[in-house]
Amino acid sequence: MIKLIEKIEGEAKLHFSFKNEKIDFVDIEFTSTRNIEKILQGKPAADALVINPRVCGICGHAHLIATVQALEECYDNLKISNKAKIIRELTLNFELIQNHFKWFYLTMLPLFGEKQQVLKATYPSQLMAKAIALFGGQYPHTSYAIVGGVVCEIKEMELIKLQHYIDETIKFFEENVVVSESESFLVCDNIEKVLERNGDLPNILRVIIKNGWMHQGKSHDRFIAFGENSYFNKGKSLKTRVSNTLCIEDVKETPSSTSYAKSVSYKEKHYEAGPLARAMINKIPLIKDAHRRYGDSILSRILARVCEISQLLNHSKKLIEMLDLSEPSYIEPSLDISKLSGSGYSAVEAARGTLIHKVEIENGLIKNYEIITPTQWNLSGGTKEKLGVSQKAMIGLGDIKTAELVFKTFDVCSVCTTH
Amino acid sequence: MKRKMRVLWLSAIACNGNMHSFLNYPYMEQFLNDFEFISHPILDSEYTLEVIVSNDIPCDILLIEGAISEEFQRADVPIVNIIQRYSKIVQKIVTVGTCATFGGIFRESDYKDISGLHFDKESRVDTFKNIFDKTISVSGCPVHPEILVNTLYAIKKSIALELDNYLRPKEYFAYTVHNGCVRNEYFEYKIDNHQFGALEGCMFYEHGCQAPYTHGSCNKILWNEVNSKTRAGLPCMGCTEPSFPKQNLFSTKKNMGIPEYLPTGVGKRTYLTLAGISKAFTIERLEKKLFDD
Repeated sequence: MIKLIEKIEGEAKLHFSFKNEKIDFVDIEFTSTRNIEKILQGKPAADALVINPRVCGICGHAHLIATVQALEECYDNLKISNKAKIIRELTLNFELIQNHFKWFYLTMLPLFGEKQQVLKATYPSQLMAKAIALFGGQYPHTSYAIVGGVVCEIKEMELIKLQHYIDETIKFFEENVVVSESESFLVCDNIEKVLERNGDLPNILRVIIKNGWMHQGKSHDRFIAFGENSYFNKGKSLKTRVSNTLCIEDVKETPSSTSYAKSVSYKEKHYEAGPLARAMINKIPLIKDAHRRYGDSILSRILARVCEISQLLNHSKKLIEMLDLSEPSYIEPSLDISKLSGSGYSAVEAARGTLIHKVEIENGLIKNYEIITPTQWNLSGGTKEKLGVSQKAMIGLGDIKTAELVFKTFDVCSVCTTH
Repeated sequence: MKRKMRVLWLSAIACNGNMHSFLNYPYMEQFLNDFEFISHPILDSEYTLEVIVSNDIPCDILLIEGAISEEFQRADVPIVNIIQRYSKIVQKIVTVGTCATFGGIFRESDYKDISGLHFDKESRVDTFKNIFDKTISVSGCPVHPEILVNTLYAIKKSIALELDNYLRPKEYFAYTVHNGCVRNEYFEYKIDNHQFGALEGCMFYEHGCQAPYTHGSCNKILWNEVNSKTRAGLPCMGCTEPSFPKQNLFSTKKNMGIPEYLPTGVGKRTYLTLAGISKAFTIERLEKKLFDD
């Protein structure tokens, strides 16, 4: 039985096989690729800053930040100001937040029999897009982070504007998503308390529990995050045991014979990436509580992603306070990138999880470029013996509709997955 | 109840950036009162794509996002067949973004004969010449949401838009991106001291800015209602043009010290004369930092 999955930035096909009226195996097929890595070959290295955001219309900014960091890794002693680092982290946060809102209101709600809430998706995500545009000139598809820093210079008036975008988004969250003061919600460590609240998130969680779905969509209970910044920690979590040593050389990409999505594993094992993974590694009390009760189910996954909005908004306010506007936005590299040879990689946390870029430059031109996207961690298929993360989460379910729901809790982005 | 215009949003070889740019349109509620999508990459719609591709569903406007190749399929149907089917039904076809219009970045992917709907970069493509006259192009990587939405309203109101040679509405594409840039004075007086990370300076001389010869309204209507790339200090990449993407996007190609590409309509001799005169001045205000301490 084949099901075409739509409204996922492209399409995917799920080939289901049933045994005793339960899903026994799912072959996940992504049907097209644009082969961006090949487009990059032979191009001047800096042009990757313009091409790579176009990997994806919804998380292109993560691709920009991953690109600039990978290019900077090709230098030996490149200096970046703290100000530029903070600005990059801020704009990436804003992109994550807009993603989370869109996914919850446009993709998740209809799967639970609710009406899609277009305006609740667009209002806060437009505020976050404005916040990015303040620094980057526009969103989507800015290339404002360049080797050596960021192109923009900002003043106090921009920060005041930025503060308003953030405060307005926090207000939206407090009035709509979880009706609560952010201060108390951020320290909440008991899911029962969230379920007592009003708001679109508690509503969905109650639907899940009422229907008895809170244990559905469980996968390997293994989590991974390679991206590190002032908020996210790098690490892996096996059930609840967290370790913070990871080695990028142990990440392996395997081509698939039936799909354009290459499968990704760490030390030969599939790991879930994304907000639930980050929350487990960061030991967020509320998500740990949900995980203790419901494991790595759709409930924990949805809760973790929506709660990350509130955490990132709060953390962004702290980041703004850390900005020292007297620092330079940009420090010119001692060697122009057009003369550079070297190799480097980067890992950043994008909305859907760890994004890895690897680049090799020879005399200023790109010799090789590799991209591993978050959705490859979660959505690319494995084998019956070694199931991929979303495959494992769908096995044992009784019907295709629920399987589609489970599949979409990972947030499918087909353009990223195959790129 | 008034009838809404029915729109089919069809994604071809794309990143979906145009769709997400569209979601930044500030007056979405008004738009959704006047238009409905019979199919859309993410918004709820009456039909699934599977139904769309094999039936003639009534529709007023076909929006195409992404580059086109006969090899590429949606819901197991070649995209060219879907375009052919719906171009007969609709009043107008709109190519949304630079890929759908000229091929754009994904023109360089491996698909066979990949191009825009009517153009492969600057050249005409004849596959769909029977629908050339009912097509409007709104290029840009991505499209500006206001340009897309207002073009759809113009269709709804049966306004005969004046189009340029690439079928782009002149209301937005008769301008250059340079119009309205806050760095204009540095350009006018040929002050070529731009540094990244600074409020001052013009990126045309050293850093590859294509705004003086790129058609668009980025600095007239602004992005996300707040800013533009060149205002922020990022060179214009020429993303609305058939030539996008060129190479070496962060540096200005020069011959004997003269930029290879000059402002639209300005001859080399005129440019040199003007540059010579402007360079004779020393304008202290523009040589200094704006915030001089």
